[in-house]
Parts: sequence; structure tokens; C-alpha cells
Amino acid sequence: MGVAYKNSETPFNTTLADQRLYIQISNHLFSSVRVAVTLKGFELEREGVKMTSSETLTFMELAIHQAKLALDVLEVPVGCVIVEDGKVIASGRNRTTETRNATRHAEMEAVDVLLVQWQKNGLSMSEVAENFSNCSLYVTCEPCIMCASVLSILGIKEVFYGCSNDKFGGCGSILSLHLSNSTPLNNEVSSGKSFKCTGGIMASEAVLLFRTFYEQGNPNAPKPHRSLAPQA
Amino acid sequence: MTSCLIVHIPDKEPYDLHHQPTESVFASAINPKHANQIVRRLNQIAPLEDLRHVKRIQKKVLEGGEIQLLVILSLASEGNNQLDSMPPHLQELISSYHNIDGITGFSEEDSQTVLKFMQSAVELATSNSLVVNAAVIVDPSTKQIISSARDQIYAWNSCKDDSYCGKPESFNSHLNISSICDSHEPLHSNSSSNQLKQPYTGVACLYPRQWAEQQSHSQSSYYCHPLRHASIVAIESSAARDRNLFPSEGNNEASYQELDSENASWTNSPAKRQKTVCGNDEDDDKLNPRGQTSDQSSTRPYLCTGYDIYLVWEPCAMCAMALVHQRIRRIFYAFPNPNAGALGSVHRLQGEKSLNHHYAVFRVLLPEEALHKFHI
Repeated sequence: MGVAYKNSETPFNTTLADQRLYIQISNHLFSSVRVAVTLKGFELEREGVKMTSSETLTFMELAIHQAKLALDVLEVPVGCVIVEDGKVIASGRNRTTETRNATRHAEMEAVDVLLVQWQKNGLSMSEVAENFSNCSLYVTCEPCIMCASVLSILGIKEVFYGCSNDKFGGCGSILSLHLSNSTPLNNEVSSGKSFKCTGGIMASEAVLLFRTFYEQGNPNAPKPHRSLAPQA
Repeated sequence: MTSCLIVHIPDKEPYDLHHQPTESVFASAINPKHANQIVRRLNQIAPLEDLRHVKRIQKKVLEGGEIQLLVILSLASEGNNQLDSMPPHLQELISSYHNIDGITGFSEEDSQTVLKFMQSAVELATSNSLVVNAAVIVDPSTKQIISSARDQIYAWNSCKDDSYCGKPESFNSHLNISSICDSHEPLHSNSSSNQLKQPYTGVACLYPRQWAEQQSHSQSSYYCHPLRHASIVAIESSAARDRNLFPSEGNNEASYQELDSENASWTNSPAKRQKTVCGNDEDDDKLNPRGQTSDQSSTRPYLCTGYDIYLVWEPCAMCAMALVHQRIRRIFYAFPNPNAGALGSVHRLQGEKSLNHHYAVFRVLLPEEALHKFHI
């Protein structure tokens, strides 16, 4: 089906699906974000604050900082850092708009930094695998199915995330790729490693960034269907 | 002789012919082929209560004599033109028809096209003695290949030209199936099964964790990137093509240079088009911080919207989700991926309702000749 319109109005220029898509994205992140705060995020965060070490919060603050850098350049505000032995060894933020490649999520950016670095240092593949198994990821939003899959393919040790992602989440929301089966069938090579996953770390800060982003309007959405909010 | 006339007394006073009230509705142009089916379904799931007298379908003759049918989907509440106010089952019906050809079957011509592109994907996958997965992204409206790629797990950045270098082969000698390729014996005499008995351990999506099992290797003349599965590489090339054909207002271009230098076949394309002149309309610029004019964005694709991808093997979860993100319209694959497949084998992403985009997935059963030709 093609064009949708309200009678006596001119047709919208876009396809029906594009509109739905955009509305779903924009409304959804509000609502998911609200759900995350009220249900999962808040409880987890309360619980989290008690249990979360100041170290964890420090790293998550750095991830939030990355997300803010994304927001500054009108990217969907997600950021992350990768930590090995208590030190940040890579960071990343969303670059999907800039690259027009919707797979360039914060996690992919940070992982590529390490892969390039380790290649340059002449590490073998098994050493690279060994390194990833000592790394933790701090990311402002639950990794999507693609990124959760990546983390499992790389065999990362542990993941801490901010708000949950009930549209695309791959660490419990939609799929649970962090619990991937470590005993593959028929002696085949396993398709991924499981990793420990903790959500709700500073979830409200992560949510606030999303809200700011969608209130200012997503410039990358397939054509604006509503007027952008006036600049405050 | 008394004639009896029965007159209905409506619950509202009738309006004067020239002052009829109007109702806002959502309507959509539809393919006349599906008109009957759609109207029947609509009458079931979204009957127009109180508007039973209204014809749901309107016929229009466009310029050039083409006939367009418009169908009323549902009432639109006043002042709300957001389509998500539509009932969910109606949205579902719409998305099941929306721009996805093939769900109700393929014409002979379309089948031939699908087969042709699948064969080019298989050819690419088997173009080196190490069989890997291959991806071909196609714009079906022009039947033009947008980008294509092989798995690049073991050859990242090491090939400056189009030929795939020998390093990965020697490195993976235990995976090498050149002996199979040399064999004149067809692997599968039974074409109906379309099942592969070889493990094909070079295929990244089949064994996503394979890279970590490799024994360490002393020299550094090859590169490894465990995530460069064919779909990911093809998406990257298509994004690079997009940036190249439709450059945005200049600030970030320099940062693309690295990515662009990678082996993307489109760089040879003579069709490099300069950006159309940016409009002077200030409002337009404000609305669109990236500085595209509306003229530009009408021709510029949004990610891979409307494009199809041909894969030899069913993609893993990473690749399948990447294709959701990049808004691929249809996925065709030839062989299932029982170990890690995310489009039916292990997961079924196309059925995850919460995702913001849904593609249609098809498996292409290759004819026996095709399998023999490529020795798979």
C-alpha cells in the first residue's frame, strides 16, 4: 500500500510504514523509557545503588558522557566504555546518522577501537579472544539484539547497562543472548559465549538523554511528520 | 389500492444535500490485484459502523490512463493524524501488505530475478576455494546491485583490490575445501533435500565463535575482524555508497575517508552524482539540520528502505538484527543455519512484534543445476 491521507487533505509524501515507524520510534522511546524508570529501572537502580560500587557508577558516568557527545551532534544518545583491569581502554558513542549505517551503535564503535588497536599490536586471534574475556562493558542502554550478539561472539566478561530497551533489547527484554547456550549441539563450535549482565545503573540519566533527544526531534527519522519542538 | 412505504427515521436529523458533514478517514492507495482480498479483510476487522452506505473503494484514473484504487482504512479521530491511533490488527494488516511483494507468491518473472541474484550470491560465496557466506544488496525497483560482500573475518583490510588474497586460505588450510571444488563428483545427487552435508566452517554466520578457536599465528600479514560477516560488510558498503551519491553539507566528510577506502565496488561507478543545489528556503534548512533539500531527500534512500538482500546462508542474530536496523525490505537465503540462524532456525526475528521494522524472509531452493555448477 502506498500513500495514506485524511480525506480532503493532500497525501503525505511518505509511505504508511515510514510514518508508523517514526511514530513508533518517537513515542516508543518515551514510553519505554518511562516504563524502564517506573518498573525496571527504578527498582533496579534503587537496588543497584545499594549494591553498585562507586567504581561501577564512575564508569557509567563516563558512558553517559559519551552519550552526551552523541546528543551534541544530533545522534541517538547512547554511549559506552570498555574496561579492563579497572581501566577504560575504549569508548564509543552512536554514529548512525553520520555514517548512514544504522549498525554503528556505541558498542560497535568501541569494539572496533580495540580490534584495530590489538591488531596493530600484533595480537593473535586467541590473544584477542583472551583479552575480551577480561573486559567489561558499561553502556547507557541495554544492548540491542545485534550488539548483545556481538558481545557474545566476542566473549566479553560482563555488561552493565542503564535503562532497558523493550523494543530491541538482547539482554533479557526481547531475546536473552547473554544466556547463550555454552554447550553446542553435535560438538560444533558454539555460536557464542554467555556473559553476566546487570541493568538499571543510572537508568534515569540515560532516559533523560533520550527524552531530550526526542523532544528536540530526530533529524534522522524518515521525514518529519510533526513539527519539531520549538527550541527551548 | 394502498401502497405501503416504509421510511426509516434516522437517529439524527438528515442534513441538507449541500451541507453534508464530513468525516476524517485514513485511506491508502492499493494494488488493484489485492482489492477484493483487502476489502473483505477490512470489512471483517474494521467495519465502518455508522457509515455502511459509504463505498470503501474509490477509483481514480491517473495521468496516462493508469487506474488507482483508494481504500478507506478506518476513521481518523479529529485532530489526530497519527497512524498509530489505528487499531493494532489494522496496522498488522497494513504492514502485511505494505510494499512487501512476494508474500502472496512470485510471478515467473520475479522468480527468475530472485534466482539470478541468488546465483550471483552463491557465485561470490564460492569464488575462492574457502567457501564463505556472501551478501548481495539489490534495489528491486531498478534490479541494480547496491553492494555485495563476502565474509571478511580473516581478510580485513588486507585486500586492496578486488581479488581475495591468499592469506586466509593458507591460514585456514584445515578448513580448505579446494579438494571438494576439484572433485567432479557432485556433492548432492538429491536436489530435493537442498541440505548441505559439508560443515562449511568458513561461513561466519554458521560458526560466529569460530574465530576465537583459531590457533595463534606468528606473522601479522593477515588481519582478523570477528564481526565482519558478509551482511555487515555489505551494509557498510551500501552506507558508503549512500554518502558518496548523496553527500551532506560538508563538515564530517573527512571522517568518512577511512571507511570509503575499503573495497567497495561502487567506487568504480561512473554514476557519482554531485549533490543538488541546496535550497535557499530557510525554513527548510531549519527543519533539516543536515542541510538536505526536500528535493534531495526525495531521491536519497533512507538506509536500505526498499532494498532486498540475498544471502547464501541464513544470517546469525547479529546480522539479522543489523538488517532490521538498516531497514532491508526482503531477505532471501538459500541454506538454513541450524547452529546460529536467527530467521527461523534458532531465533525468528521476523516474528518479533516489538521491533520497529519488519522484513519478509524467503528461502530460495536452488535448482539442482545451480548446486552442481557451484559444487555446493
